[in-house]
Amino acid sequence: MAKKSEGPQIIIANRLDDGRVVFLSKAGGWSVTLNNAVQADNPEQLKALLETAVKSVDANIIVSPEPIDAALSGGGAFFEPSHIKYKIQSQGPTVRPDLGYQAADIKQAGTA
Amino acid sequence: MYAYDTYDHALVNARVEEFRDQVNRRLSGELTEEEFRPLRLMNGLYLQLHAYMLRVAIPYGTLNSAQLHTLADIADKYDKGYGHFTTRQNIQYNWPKLVETPDILADLASVEMHAIQTSGNCIRNVTTDHFAGAAKDELFDTRPHGELIRQWSTFHPEFSFLPRKFKIAVAGATVDRAALRWHDIALQAIIKESGERGFEVYVGGGMGRSPFIAKTIRDFIPEDQLIAYLEAMLRVYNQAGRRDNKYKARIKILVHEMGLDAYKDAVEKEYALLDKSNIDAPKAELERLYRYFLPPTLEVLSEDDEEVAALAKANPLFSVWLDRNIDAHKVDGHRIVTISLKPHGGIAGDATSEQMRLVADLSKDYSQNELRVSHEQNLILPHVALRDLPTIFKKLDAAGLSTANAGLMTDMIVCPGLDYCSLANARSIPLSQKIAKRFDDIARLQDIGELKVKISGCINSCGHHHAGHIGILGVDKKGVENYQLLLGGSGGEDASKAKILGRGFDEDGTVDALERVIDVYLRSRNDGERFLDTYRRIGEQPFKEAVYDH
Repeated sequence: MAKKSEGPQIIIANRLDDGRVVFLSKAGGWSVTLNNAVQADNPEQLKALLETAVKSVDANIIVSPEPIDAALSGGGAFFEPSHIKYKIQSQGPTVRPDLGYQAADIKQAGTA
Repeated sequence: MYAYDTYDHALVNARVEEFRDQVNRRLSGELTEEEFRPLRLMNGLYLQLHAYMLRVAIPYGTLNSAQLHTLADIADKYDKGYGHFTTRQNIQYNWPKLVETPDILADLASVEMHAIQTSGNCIRNVTTDHFAGAAKDELFDTRPHGELIRQWSTFHPEFSFLPRKFKIAVAGATVDRAALRWHDIALQAIIKESGERGFEVYVGGGMGRSPFIAKTIRDFIPEDQLIAYLEAMLRVYNQAGRRDNKYKARIKILVHEMGLDAYKDAVEKEYALLDKSNIDAPKAELERLYRYFLPPTLEVLSEDDEEVAALAKANPLFSVWLDRNIDAHKVDGHRIVTISLKPHGGIAGDATSEQMRLVADLSKDYSQNELRVSHEQNLILPHVALRDLPTIFKKLDAAGLSTANAGLMTDMIVCPGLDYCSLANARSIPLSQKIAKRFDDIARLQDIGELKVKISGCINSCGHHHAGHIGILGVDKKGVENYQLLLGGSGGEDASKAKILGRGFDEDGTVDALERVIDVYLRSRNDGERFLDTYRRIGEQPFKEAVYDH
């Protein structure tokens, strides 16, 4: 269910086989890298992204897709989810920065 | 401790293969997520924020060395080198892959462990006093009854789809170390003057958004009639419990809405109708179970040990550890050792695979191959000779496991919170770390004395904040983490519900407020009073004024 939002949104999900957090990407697939996420700027775009997500659910690639507010920060250099829950989901536990799946990816992309 | 018979092995192994098939069918798309979800939950597999999470049962909190070694091996082989011990005496792995979970369950089955009924609306892992079988104040060891309940409830066809999850605790000591009155059903051991053993039965306790303390439904049920009575209690709940609203589906709500007397009448009527001879275990079976839990043969030793006394004099840390983390044992010359999993700045309940292996080895060498997991998220060596304490302390200290804070305010119960949990509203662990840092002074902690701080990251109360002398509840305040202080709760035999003090704070503000609360206690206490005693004597107002009107 899409949340009401006036800002840009991206789609977050978990990969079915290993549970890893993934983002619907510009290429139409699912990326473990937040910065590869594709952004919806209006309800029509979000609807299209969610339709893609549902197809991925039906294809047993991902589970629990969810639109989240995430704006480009750092002068357009990287995405940043607006709610702390999704910041943590995107980057890993704040108390174990050595463990988060995304920590290495984000560091690699120069965004952390 | 209990050892599987051929039936147990066959049952658990069959379950592993059944789940392997279910996982394969899910991955192939034969099962949808909606169809698969209840199946994975019945095998302890959740989907959390970052990954799947597997919850493994440690029935009545008892482990042996080989089992803990296997838990450590699983952490390395399938996870990220650590595990998290929980308030339900389980262990959770935070990063398993769905495709590998059947292999994990197979590894668990090889040491007589499983993840059956660690989730779902069924009877969960039965918990007990973590000092069971060793405590000096124990009337009798209730782990055989825990095992009996495990066997009765496992795959019980009538109780596999209850209105909501169901938690049973059983304990046999005069001091309640199992938070009995916070359970759906609790069983407190009693020995009558005639010598007959049985239980006082409580019902309707629970935390969550509607906290209730369990009430006595039966003053006494003989131990050989226990299971039929439980069956009657569960049957009434299963038939009358609400299924239209998950927030009103626990037995605590049923008992509250029906009234204890009406619920009791219904149970007694049901109990009268049951064919008890087909439900209660035959005497021979009870005796068979008791034999598994016979106390180890321990040599009676002196209650004085020169080496221990000398080290206590020379090493203040060892002296404090003796004072805080060592408890009396049934057998002279022996002690119960609590291994704190609450290092200041660490994560409550977490243990690395290397730490698990060390503790497993210590249990084999010094504790009759036995271990316990406490609901307070610590590990226990239950049968240690007094003379071995210096060696054990040295080995624990080298592994970062000698924190001498058992029962002190940094021995906090802390849920995983928003760092891991998809239900949480706020993080719990960083707040606990800040509290530990602020109070990182053993003399100050000793001066404050027994103080149970319990932190939950949401209203579901996995961090037991309702039962905290000081409870802390994390909430989401317009997208920002906020924490409410609650005072006056207890999980002990003097169980009580903590009361919200007032408006909440951010993380740093919470630590400041906590310090002000403790300052009031230190100024106001009478000789020998714990924090809880002082709070009960003077009420909340002085604390409120100190926190909000300073």
